[in-house]
Amino acid sequence: MIWVTWRQHRVQALICFAVLCAVAIYAIGAGIWMRHAFSADGIPLCLARSGGAGCPAAITSFADRFNQGVAVISDVPLLIVPGLLGIVVGATLLGQELERGTWRLAWSQTVPRNRWLVTKLGLVTGGLLAFGVAVTMIMTWYHQPLDQVTARLRPVPGTAEGLTFTASLLCAFGLAVLAGLLLRNTIGAMVTAYVAWEIPTTVVTLLGGPIRFPPPVTVRLPCHAGCPGASVSSVPPVTGHLGDYVLGVARSGGQLVVTYQPASRFWLVQLIGGGIYLSTAVTALGVALWLLHRRTT
Amino acid sequence: MTPALLADRVGKRYGHVWGLRDCTFSVPAGSVVGMVGPNGAGKTTLLALTVGLLAPTEGRIAVFGETSRAHTAATLARVSYLAQEHPLYRGFSVADMLRFGRSMNPRWDHALARRRMDELGIPLGRRIKALSGGQQAQVALTLALAKRAPLLALDEPVASLDPIARLEFMRDVMAVCAETGLTVVIASHVVSELERLCDWLLVLTGGRLQLAGSVDDLLGTHQVLTVPRQTLDAELPGHVISRTDSDRHSTVLVAAGPAEMAGGQRPNWQAEPVGFEQLVLGYLQRPPLRMHGSYGSPAVMS
Repeated sequence: MIWVTWRQHRVQALICFAVLCAVAIYAIGAGIWMRHAFSADGIPLCLARSGGAGCPAAITSFADRFNQGVAVISDVPLLIVPGLLGIVVGATLLGQELERGTWRLAWSQTVPRNRWLVTKLGLVTGGLLAFGVAVTMIMTWYHQPLDQVTARLRPVPGTAEGLTFTASLLCAFGLAVLAGLLLRNTIGAMVTAYVAWEIPTTVVTLLGGPIRFPPPVTVRLPCHAGCPGASVSSVPPVTGHLGDYVLGVARSGGQLVVTYQPASRFWLVQLIGGGIYLSTAVTALGVALWLLHRRTT
Repeated sequence: MTPALLADRVGKRYGHVWGLRDCTFSVPAGSVVGMVGPNGAGKTTLLALTVGLLAPTEGRIAVFGETSRAHTAATLARVSYLAQEHPLYRGFSVADMLRFGRSMNPRWDHALARRRMDELGIPLGRRIKALSGGQQAQVALTLALAKRAPLLALDEPVASLDPIARLEFMRDVMAVCAETGLTVVIASHVVSELERLCDWLLVLTGGRLQLAGSVDDLLGTHQVLTVPRQTLDAELPGHVISRTDSDRHSTVLVAAGPAEMAGGQRPNWQAEPVGFEQLVLGYLQRPPLRMHGSYGSPAVMS
């Protein structure tokens, strides 16, 4: 069974490996460059609170420079990549067997159907998990200097740190497995599962943006030397605490009203987003297993 | 002796329609069973129940005395199954396909599989999709044989093959049967393919079993009578299975043993022994009885 699973999914495994390599090459190259700039700009001294008067400007310039680089790799491709990869791997698992009639071959060998499915799901999920964790670790290492000076709490799922990337990948996979079982067609399953995957993705995006959940913290800060208005630099944030993710700054009666997600909420936000994705994945796979088991009798 | 295959009032319902109903028969070990019926007669359903791909709605099927239970290793191990269109993984090489068989079956006979590929001149390195239809059928048959199960079930094994490949494939099946003493069930709607092969016959139409028995017995208990056209069915000996009327005469297939024939013969009737194909066709053309709630139509043979 292990060999059969490998043989059927090895092309997909190679695609995942190629994606991982591409991410690693970019992240390691850019990460080394970022670490150079980090030292050269004197940011470590600033963070140790022994820096001079130029620190806020240095931090701002460093963060602005590298936030763009981070956006290029993490915001756009890493938002879609887990969806696409999960769907390609998931749709073939049952969809292709049913579409091409090979289920009659697969399920008439001595391995019972339930064990066949559980083994395949286990091995493929394990592979995807390893891939997701590897990408997350590389991206976390890459972000690390930037995370020290700016918000690690970028809106989920536009980040490959924490749980989001892996959870999103598994969610797309689970939905595609179920779609393959229901539609008995690989391409149809891919399209359907991608549309379905957009639902939790939209929910998670809305929670990070317009809906703002968990509800952000609001503080009122007195204006010293005149309030600078709404265009306050967020690095370092007006909250005075590095890593806080400032959502909005407004001026009200001689005070600055700052809405932000505290840096300490990073894992809470990740658990909510990851939880939405993972519960979708578990539900989809559970329904697929149950449907297939029910057809037995 | 334990029958190789036993069906006891077995039935399978798909939603509201019965794909197979009230099917009872018993096949001795070592038989080569021909299962004949038009498309939709329930052949594939009966095979899937035997293999353990489906569970019966009522009744039971037993293979060598053990009841078939859908999707259990014990049932799956007792039957080798060659599905219709002989599905294989098209992207696999032949060697991959054999390795698939080895990793999915504890009793897998790898030497047998390799030897057969060698004898058939099918290169192990070639992709399945690059093989001819006949070669693909042979690879699929090899997978079924090397599983080393005592019952071999073939579902329309030659339907998609050209005449030469059909001949070669069936010759191969016959050689294997003679060599190993396997019990084989071959479902087909091509009657002529079965005549040379099988010594046991099952005829299905519209989800019902019409006829079951050893070919020798069945040929001995059926006669073809040529009688004047005005002769009524009730006058004929035994049961009338099918009747073809021409201008002056009728040709009637009757189920009647020698004793009944001796008692019921008239001087102007002509009795002939029935041939295999004639017997099967007679039952296939028989007006379907008790069709309520069953599925499929007594379609014309293709």
